[in-house]
Amino acid sequence: MPPQRIDNPPVADLDEPPERSGIGTLPRAAPPVSGSSRPAGGLAARVQCARRTYGTGAASVVALADVTVGFPAGEFTAIMGPSGSGKSTLMHCMAGLDTLTSGQAFIRDTDLASLTDRELTVLRRDRLGFVFQAFNLLPTLTAEENITLPADLAGRSVDRAWFDTVVSTLGLQERLTHRPAQLSGGQQQRTAVARALVSRPEVVFADEPTGALDSKASAELLRFLRSVVDDLGQTVVMVTHDPVAAAYADRVVFLVDGSVVEELAHPTRDSVLETMKRLGG
Amino acid sequence: MLRVSLRNVLANKLRLFLTVAAVTVGVAFVSGTFVLSDTMSRAFDQLFTGLTSGTDVVVRGQSAYTTGAATQAQPRPLDQALVADVEQVPGVAAAEGGVTGFALILDRDGLPIQPGGAPTLGASVGGDEQLAGAVGFREGRAPGGPDEVAIDAGSAEKAGYQVGDSVDIVFQDGRDTFTVVGIVGFGTTDSLAGATLAGFDLPIAQQLLGKVGVVDEIDVRADDGVTAGQLRADIAAVLPEDAEALTGLQVADEGSAAVRDGMAVFSRVLLIFAAVSVLVGSFVIWNTFSVLVAQRRREVALLRAVGASRRQVLTGIMVEAGLIGLVSAGVGLLAGVGLAVGIRSLLKLIGIEVPTTSAAIEPRTIVAALLVGVVVTMVAAFVPAWTASRLAPIEALHDAAPTAAGIGARRRIAGWLMLAAGVAGLAACATVGNEPALTGLATLTAFAGLVTAGPSLAQGMARLADHGRRGGGWRMAARNIARAPRRAAATALALTIGLTVVCAVAVTASSLKASVADSVTGGNRSDFALQPAGAGLGVSPAAADLVRGLDGVDTVEELRYTSALVQGGSRTVVGVDPAGLDQVVDLGLQDGALAAFTPGTMLLRAKAAEALGVTAGDPVTITFPETGERTVTLAGTFSQDTLLESDYLIPLADFEENVTSRLDGSVLVTIRDGASPAAVERTLTQALAEYPNVTISDPAQLTADAQASVDQMLGLITALLLLAVVVAVLGIVNTLVLSVVERTRELGLLRAVGATRSQIRTLVRRESVLMSLLGAVTGIALGTVSGIALSRALLDQGVTRLAVPTVTLTVYLVIAALVGVLAAIGPARRASRVDILRAVTTE
Repeated sequence: MPPQRIDNPPVADLDEPPERSGIGTLPRAAPPVSGSSRPAGGLAARVQCARRTYGTGAASVVALADVTVGFPAGEFTAIMGPSGSGKSTLMHCMAGLDTLTSGQAFIRDTDLASLTDRELTVLRRDRLGFVFQAFNLLPTLTAEENITLPADLAGRSVDRAWFDTVVSTLGLQERLTHRPAQLSGGQQQRTAVARALVSRPEVVFADEPTGALDSKASAELLRFLRSVVDDLGQTVVMVTHDPVAAAYADRVVFLVDGSVVEELAHPTRDSVLETMKRLGG
Repeated sequence: MLRVSLRNVLANKLRLFLTVAAVTVGVAFVSGTFVLSDTMSRAFDQLFTGLTSGTDVVVRGQSAYTTGAATQAQPRPLDQALVADVEQVPGVAAAEGGVTGFALILDRDGLPIQPGGAPTLGASVGGDEQLAGAVGFREGRAPGGPDEVAIDAGSAEKAGYQVGDSVDIVFQDGRDTFTVVGIVGFGTTDSLAGATLAGFDLPIAQQLLGKVGVVDEIDVRADDGVTAGQLRADIAAVLPEDAEALTGLQVADEGSAAVRDGMAVFSRVLLIFAAVSVLVGSFVIWNTFSVLVAQRRREVALLRAVGASRRQVLTGIMVEAGLIGLVSAGVGLLAGVGLAVGIRSLLKLIGIEVPTTSAAIEPRTIVAALLVGVVVTMVAAFVPAWTASRLAPIEALHDAAPTAAGIGARRRIAGWLMLAAGVAGLAACATVGNEPALTGLATLTAFAGLVTAGPSLAQGMARLADHGRRGGGWRMAARNIARAPRRAAATALALTIGLTVVCAVAVTASSLKASVADSVTGGNRSDFALQPAGAGLGVSPAAADLVRGLDGVDTVEELRYTSALVQGGSRTVVGVDPAGLDQVVDLGLQDGALAAFTPGTMLLRAKAAEALGVTAGDPVTITFPETGERTVTLAGTFSQDTLLESDYLIPLADFEENVTSRLDGSVLVTIRDGASPAAVERTLTQALAEYPNVTISDPAQLTADAQASVDQMLGLITALLLLAVVVAVLGIVNTLVLSVVERTRELGLLRAVGATRSQIRTLVRRESVLMSLLGAVTGIALGTVSGIALSRALLDQGVTRLAVPTVTLTVYLVIAALVGVLAAIGPARRASRVDILRAVTTE
């Protein structure tokens, strides 16, 4: 049973009292749990004939060349490819951060092209989670405030039990009152992951989340992403150029020159490396 | 380094514009003031030189002391026989006596042509063309007969009079009808600085102006080959002691000097407004450069790392400031010339015609503009520049966003102490009263405290606002303010300065308004006051005579004013008739007796007597400009602040003996017991129909009129100060734009994780409102406190009441919040349009 949701909840005015979704009346996103009640397959995000070009005329650059690809719900997918292959563009277009020149992008059944800027913003806030490579956090907010930021922007309160679970799993309990400047790089990225998960989004998009981390912190973060997929049925899409990171995924999609050229299920570091070599990456 | 500076200046046009605008307003004020006063002085020089160009020597009564331009007191007239004596002096080609006095020309509807404050002159018109100098007949001829008049071209144009028309003129002794036979011009100018002139043949003028057998001055033309200086000496030798001879040039210089004195007062007032604008502007500059330096931290550190010395970094930023200052000074100078032209048109609009000449841009004006523009900018930029030069090269490697620190404990304590000392000083001044200098000092101290403790104030305010809802605009806005408290404080302080002055003026003016009612109605027993309409010179005593004996009228008390030295100090002395005094006003006699107030005595307000150290029975020396020293006995002292508007009373008989002009400053009227005030007012109105320059007011109207004039003055001052507030608003816009640019990534991240455009706009708007409110609250608070102290400081100047205009102050507060919203429009739009992708991708 797909979780019930309001597609376009009203954006709360900054001063309106938080619109509380009363427990039981409007369960926005039932906690995805493992086992039988896990969202029954389907594609959490997909693009169809997605084309994205930058610039016009002779100077135009094709970043995505008619890509069609889907990302199953409850799976951890990695997108790989050499620099300039369009992997980040693909992710940005699927996440409503960038718009396609032609073709369609869907989050579940919602066609992103049909949404206004405001609806897109609300979609990002309520249905997606983001982890960027760097600069994930607002320097003026504490770690806790950064984690609850999307909910605060929506004027909603977070599910405290779920919040505590996420925070303790990520080992951030002691860091909640700290400002980003007082956190290590790994802690900052974990805080970003917590923010992405705390609203139980349909898809978490991670753009090189380990790019700025050392190998130990990277491994910790990736293990956590793996576990939210396994234990909670969370859908994660991650852009990376690191074969080790990609090996944590259920599946790897390879892009070259704006096209999907290969898909690899159950990747290992070696199989990913081998594929990369073959593709000339 | 120069190329780096130049490129930096041009890199951001909007920032350049906002920064330049902040300095330009102040520079424009300064240069505009200079251009205006120089232009007017030059024009008047030309005019006076022209007027006296044909006159070699002027003979006139000797003044007891130099009265200055403001008092307009004339020297005592000379016996007409003296004209013949002067004519006898060898070397004199022609000598002509002349008189001047009060003559109010009425237009076709019977209303005064000149309702403003400029003089309404009646004068004799001489026959000697050369003596007339630049005064010439544009049309017609010189008046000769008893009903012939020549009027100035300005008045003729205003009322549409032509040669052959009949015109009514009011004199001090009555009203008469004349035929216009000539139109007079003064060189190329139509009137003498807006004054109206009615010219008559000498004997007629003497009769009409109440100067039969006397002349005010004798204009002398020298024979060919005789120098003015020589002739002056020769003439002086034959003059009686109470007359003096001056060359035409000396008289022209005197006139110019008088105008210059008047202009100097005007200029000083304008320069005060200029100073406020400059001060506000310097805060904006300081702030802009602080932000610039913060933004370029890495760039500066990189420059240092590749080998730029501290001095080079400092010089680079100072050169940049200098360039901005130079541009601002140039634009300000041009704007100043425009402002001068604008003010001149404004003066013309209210009836003060200024002789025209090309705009005078003296080297001093250019130097002043450049100095103000460049020096203010560079001084304001120095601290930020110095801070930048202290940056260690290692900073280039740090990635952390620049977060300006708060202030150290020492500075915070010093700031709060200064603020407390200043406010305590103001409270003390308000309690003691009459301490204008200390009030100013205390205000400055408090303000210096605000500047010093400003950042901690900003942080405090941010903490207050931080209690808002999580993710809510107020809370995030408060965090952003708290992040850069120095910047927020400097931005807000620019507004604080403007509002402090505006509110201090508002409180003082409203106190003055409340006090005016007291002094107008205080001790008053009269039912009506006859006063000159508008800012006219006076009421003809003939009008008072007319009212005397009217049905229902009891006492008619004429009040005449002159300036004189009382024990050596220049004062306004009022002449009153002791007989009717007690009927029109209750003086509240403290000492002596009203019965003792006879010729040869005077009454003093107790405070004035105390200041002079005299008590009833003591001799007091009064020096009249016309007649010199007179010693009178102090008959008594009084306590009431009255509508006599003077603390120095002498009997009317003594006044007439020492002052030639018989114009009444005002006439107080009481009605008989049982008479109906309305009926008497009707009678008065009917009787005075001939005197359209006289207004009839009851005490309530007098109060209302006096209050209206306070309001008018307040409006004018507030309008000028608003320019400074506009500069402060530009500063807010500037700060917001810079902080939005600085936070592009943060704003993009906010958008990425789900902040809508309108939420971003709200965020920026609230930061703006918080800064505006910080400036407004501190400014209004300090302004109100110093306004109260200032009102108390002016206790002896007649501000006896204290009134805080809460409504006005509240309106200012609301306006400040609105200004915050308005200032944020552009920056907020810019913030809501940040490129999300640029924020979240790492290049």
